[in-house]
Amino acid sequence: MKDENRGQGTWKSIKTIVWLGVWLFLLGRTGDCGELTPVTYRLKWLFNTSVVGDLYADVHGAFARQGIKVVVKEGGPERDSIKEIELGYAQFGVASADQVIRAVAKGSPIVVIAQLFQVNPLQWVYRTDTLSFDSPAAMISFVRGKTLGLTYGGNDETIMRTLLTKFGISEASVNVYSVRYDYTPFYEGKVDLWPVYVNAQGIVIQNKLEKAKERVSFFNPDELGVRFVANSVVTSQKMFSEQPDIVNKFRKGLIEGWQDAVALENNEKAVSVLQQFDKDTPVEIIRRQLAATRGLIKPGPESAVGSIDIPAWKQTEQIMLDQKLISVPIHLDNVLKPF
Amino acid sequence: MLHRRIQQFFLVYFLGLLSLLLVKYLLNLSDYVIPGPVEIWQTCKSVFARYVFNVLDTLWIAVVGHIISIILAFMVGILGRHNSWIGSLIKATAYSIQAYPIVAVAPIIFILLGDGLITRLLIAVMICYFPLLLSVIGILSEPVDSIEHFYVSTKRMNWRLQVRIRAYENINKLTTVIAGSATMAVVGTIIAEFIAADAGIGYSIRTALYQSDLSKILTALFLIGIGTSLYLTGLEWVGNVIQRKCQI
Repeated sequence: MKDENRGQGTWKSIKTIVWLGVWLFLLGRTGDCGELTPVTYRLKWLFNTSVVGDLYADVHGAFARQGIKVVVKEGGPERDSIKEIELGYAQFGVASADQVIRAVAKGSPIVVIAQLFQVNPLQWVYRTDTLSFDSPAAMISFVRGKTLGLTYGGNDETIMRTLLTKFGISEASVNVYSVRYDYTPFYEGKVDLWPVYVNAQGIVIQNKLEKAKERVSFFNPDELGVRFVANSVVTSQKMFSEQPDIVNKFRKGLIEGWQDAVALENNEKAVSVLQQFDKDTPVEIIRRQLAATRGLIKPGPESAVGSIDIPAWKQTEQIMLDQKLISVPIHLDNVLKPF
Repeated sequence: MLHRRIQQFFLVYFLGLLSLLLVKYLLNLSDYVIPGPVEIWQTCKSVFARYVFNVLDTLWIAVVGHIISIILAFMVGILGRHNSWIGSLIKATAYSIQAYPIVAVAPIIFILLGDGLITRLLIAVMICYFPLLLSVIGILSEPVDSIEHFYVSTKRMNWRLQVRIRAYENINKLTTVIAGSATMAVVGTIIAEFIAADAGIGYSIRTALYQSDLSKILTALFLIGIGTSLYLTGLEWVGNVIQRKCQI
């Protein structure tokens, strides 16, 4: 009798567990019906003004309107979105053009679906007391004998070496200072030209030195004909060919986000998005950073946000070939996928 | 001893490398994520000589930093071995300094000392000395009653004698701790070079990271392993000599 009762009890428990499992499964399925397709988007850098459009698209529902759910993940110095895409940790990512070219040269199966910065934000800050970089002659006369900040292995090194070669300035005639994240050597005047992201740290340095009654300006290699492409949006070839729908929805949402973020009428909305993610930067600095970013994303009224500047990519590839950073051309036609 | 240690390091390193290559081929990853054996070999050949000099540069800073750390840890350990007010103050100061992340302190060090040799040395010492200090305080604050009782009761005990007795009785522990902290000295120097220098193997790793060049990093890790093995073997040999002399 006791055994019979125990048997019935066990049977009841099994039935309860099975029913619970079925209900949980069905509930899960029901939930799925309303869920959007989740994809991961790995940024290149920390949350700051350089990613305002990415954040804006997320916060103001541009991705959701396209029917996709995007998890926007912060980047950083140790992050490499291309590697994450290849390993399957992310579906989309931001990478600089030199990163893309280097990766493709090593067989990484990635494609570029949009170019965020139409002007490279990587420029050099300098004190404007007696200097001007408005002509190549001015550059040659200033740079000789001066101390230039370079990040060895970074793309600023590649850009500066290209400039020096282009204007026939021997490396022996300049002093090179190895740059880190700390700007003290520039503040102290030990270095004359210091590489910065003009729309991010550039504004912070400018603000600090203005308070000390010092005037600074930025040297933009683009103005002297060196066009080295910066941040672009990448995905895998597989994703691009097998899920074109998601890629197009993502690209549309992202471009909408960037267009809205840099539109003058949305200035305060964009500032408020940045404040939400970048709590350490004072709002006045954020405003100035956003204004600087606007000029890099949409330099003129005719420029299309996100468009891929193919001649600039070709120049970037040529620079990397000249400096032996890659050994053979990578056939950009297969990599760049303009919309 | 050296032969065995190097053999063990080779085994561990090549097993690690093999697992990495296995992951590469199993997941069909490009050379950008994990380079192939040919690329690793070619990179190794092209940077080997330069990296050997970089590792030597790092190692000598690590050795000097380690010696300074040992002296510092013994000085602070001797002062802080008592449960007195001054002892606890010294311990609290030592703990607080260790609690600061080195990347946050680095800009202050640059301003005061620039970004040369002294900065590398200081950061290496800051990272290495703390584990040493903890062990030294632990050893020196533990009374050896069986021996100390005699000197206390005959009123011949002084601080030098107390330190000598405790160090002598724990010589095995001390040599193990000192040999073990050598690894921290090497790690400390590499971190210092990574964040605050333009020389040494840590600096080369940083440059390779900017270029996403894992082959260079693998070569650097190989040479760091060899260099550290040599240094540890040397230390163990010195430790054995000291222990033998103490036994005589």
